[in-house]
Amino acid sequence: MKQCKAFIIGGSAGSLDVLLKVLPKVDVEIGFPIIIVVHRKHGSDSLLPSLLSSRTGLHVKEVDEKEKIMAGTIYIAPSDYHLLIEQDETFSLDYSEKINYSRPAIDATFQTAAEVYQRKLVCLLLSGSNADGVNGLKSVKAWGGTVLIQDPDSAQVPYMPEQAKLNVEIDRILDVEDIAEFINLLR
Amino acid sequence: MKKVFVFDDNVDILELCTFILEDAGFAIRTSSTSNNIIEQVLAYMPDIIFMDNWLPDVGGIDATRALKAHESLKHIPVIYFSANNDVKSLADQAGADGYLAKPFDIEELEGIINRHLTT
Repeated sequence: MKQCKAFIIGGSAGSLDVLLKVLPKVDVEIGFPIIIVVHRKHGSDSLLPSLLSSRTGLHVKEVDEKEKIMAGTIYIAPSDYHLLIEQDETFSLDYSEKINYSRPAIDATFQTAAEVYQRKLVCLLLSGSNADGVNGLKSVKAWGGTVLIQDPDSAQVPYMPEQAKLNVEIDRILDVEDIAEFINLLR
Repeated sequence: MKKVFVFDDNVDILELCTFILEDAGFAIRTSSTSNNIIEQVLAYMPDIIFMDNWLPDVGGIDATRALKAHESLKHIPVIYFSANNDVKSLADQAGADGYLAKPFDIEELEGIINRHLTT
């Protein structure tokens, strides 16, 4: 069984539907945090955590600056900030330039987490319309972590997982129905 | 089934409201433009409308005024929402029936619908 210290999900257009199908099936006893970075505009800040919270027994919260990362919690990147993972396993919110036209950028979270968690990091890239996250998955792979993508055939917008498939050595391509089971088998 | 119509240029808000209100048992239609607002609303005849302040074409204030001036639509409650600190004042200017400050959560969204649909 693969040991996991953090599971990070990145997504853009078409990813909310996947999250709402997957998170209710995730075991509430998971021994690691799930960190979600989805592209979204400012203004929907409270709605996403409250919607996800209504679908899972896990604690769901939007990330606060300098917050300690705790197992068994679902963290959501706030809109308009890059979400960085620090070496002391805390979050940092960064307002620097957009990356891939995005803030939060999935690449920024994947890349900083890769250095911190190394082999014990698992990252999943979902549906989306740009290539954000692809370079981040390369970093995760280079540091020994596990990289997953949603099967592009099942994605509402397949471009993002397709780009990952073309450019990164993917460990597993998952159907939406199989994502929760995969997460539950991690320890 | 009660029907809700949400106007907002933020597609994330529209997507989230759709999931939330369908979960709560409402039928929902969304639009990111106020273009042809009268025709859009006449075609759906919702029980309640959410109107964002910042909309392409006609802004939220003028769109709400147009709805409130229409004989067949003026009875439909319009809830004005905005991230602007002055949302109450904007709602008053528009002639809306209520307001919701962004960001809001599920309880606030469902609460204001229930208040306006039961009075």
